[in-house]
Amino acid sequence: MSELYFKRPMPHGGKLVERVITDKKVAKKYLKACEKYCAVYDIKPTLHYKRGVPVRNVYREIMSVCYGFFSPVEGSMTSAELESVLTKRRLLSGWVFPYPILFDISKEDFKRLGVSEGDRLILRLKGKPFAMLDIEEIYEIDPEELANRTFGSPETNPEVVQEKFDDKHPGWVIYRSHQPIILAGKYTIINEPIFKPPFDRFWVPPRKCREIFEQRGWRTAIAHQTRNVPHVGHEFLMKNAAYTGDVEPCHGILVNAIIGVKRRGDYPDEAILEAHEAVHKAGYIKPERHMVTFTLWDMRYGNPLESLLHGIIRQNMGCTHHMFGRDHAAVGEYYDKFATQILWLKGIPSYGFDKPVNEVEGGLLIRPQNMREFWYCPVCKEMAYSENCNHSKQKEKLSGSLIRGLVAEGVQPPTVIMRPEVFKVVVKWWKKFGYPFVNEKYVQWKEEELEVDLPDLD
Amino acid sequence: MEYILEVFLDDYRLNKIKGSPVEQNIEAIFGGELKVLRVKVGEEVKNEILKAFETARIDSRACITDTPVAFKRALFEEIAKQKSLGEEVVKAVLAKIEEIKQLAAKESEYLPPPDIETD
Ligand SMILES: [Zn+2]
Repeated sequence: MSELYFKRPMPHGGKLVERVITDKKVAKKYLKACEKYCAVYDIKPTLHYKRGVPVRNVYREIMSVCYGFFSPVEGSMTSAELESVLTKRRLLSGWVFPYPILFDISKEDFKRLGVSEGDRLILRLKGKPFAMLDIEEIYEIDPEELANRTFGSPETNPEVVQEKFDDKHPGWVIYRSHQPIILAGKYTIINEPIFKPPFDRFWVPPRKCREIFEQRGWRTAIAHQTRNVPHVGHEFLMKNAAYTGDVEPCHGILVNAIIGVKRRGDYPDEAILEAHEAVHKAGYIKPERHMVTFTLWDMRYGNPLESLLHGIIRQNMGCTHHMFGRDHAAVGEYYDKFATQILWLKGIPSYGFDKPVNEVEGGLLIRPQNMREFWYCPVCKEMAYSENCNHSKQKEKLSGSLIRGLVAEGVQPPTVIMRPEVFKVVVKWWKKFGYPFVNEKYVQWKEEELEVDLPDLD
Repeated sequence: MEYILEVFLDDYRLNKIKGSPVEQNIEAIFGGELKVLRVKVGEEVKNEILKAFETARIDSRACITDTPVAFKRALFEEIAKQKSLGEEVVKAVLAKIEEIKQLAAKESEYLPPPDIETD
């Protein structure tokens, strides 16, 4: 029997990256030794290259690297590694990785810092010491070229790219807004940030997550990607996708929200996390079987590329399966609606995948569970799966915009669309922010406050 | 092609159109849990709405969605006033578009939350 069981996959690259100094005494020693010789840099948000609004904060990448979410990546990429990622979506070690991870500064800051290769740079966040960057290489990039090569184009990636990427694509804008000087090298966190509520309850880095899976006896767990408040369609996707597994349905459902700079019309991060929690608190899925967590990352909306990153993060967290729907992590019409499915089922040669992601060398072990959609069917009288229900004339789709419309008008969505407990959470944060969705004011406030505070290191 | 503007009805709105001919056109969706009026408009009016509001879009059901709340509120008031679901109600709303745009601009800063208990 046991040979039919799935094993928890190893972390991507074989070993979890953990670059956090938790012993304050040791951290202080590092800082002290640095006082004389190290330059100090205050982390600032990346601003939109045209509009000046925040689009990214590199602190989120440093956290995700150092706590192992992005294993085996250990820091800001060297020029050779960047080239390898852009041409083959592989690290120099051969492991699959979709995106450039870079520590970028302006030419003025570079001059002011006066650092060179071999130096250690102290990174401060909110005025307090946060991390160290051991500089291996310093090089210059052209941000526009970086943005274009990161996502590809209809000419270079004809299998899935339908439109040229431009300033309407938030991920392209993030790379286009990078500063030109790259400091490459490993990051080490020397002062662990403290998450503010409600984020503190949902912060579960990969090692901790694997421990919880072990304690709960979750041999199999399926990951659910989200950047949304769950409606009943999402709930049914989670429940039904979880029927896959090995010899029985998946033991656990891991909700992992992507927390970072949001777009207008999204729900606030705080509401997203608590709304997912409400699903198990109210018993729509047993809490023993459902866990809500998050990863810090300013989403790049790279559909198939983003799905690779999602697979890496959740494999690192210990999941055996990952659910993917259509238009996964997509915006606009840049990609084929099923680009993610194509990547995981067939491969996309122009991105470096002549075979599915699980079959290439250096690929992933987490299994895709590709799903179509759920709609409400008045004939079946249930939330029906599109590949079962044959009443496509009568079907009633739950579109995000339909629900946003109801919410904005203050009309409580019916229970078959959104659970009342989930709506309550939306209203709770609506009262706090004066607005149910992300607006410019929220983005400004959030990017000043961030998700964390830093303790004094004395 | 025909496009649809959906107007959702809560108890307050249901009351306001009680006894009027519009009441016959109320549709119940999602197992009868949501009541809605559907106003159908042509290409020209649809384009005018999309031009007026940058957030507005057409979803997979040919519905015009993501219009400002001020627009939807005005549309309902006009339906209740004219007791009709014809294109003329939309045209009447579009006639005071500048006023609605001003209200909509304020809406991106603040929307009143519904009066329900939260934790
Ligand atoms: Zn059906």
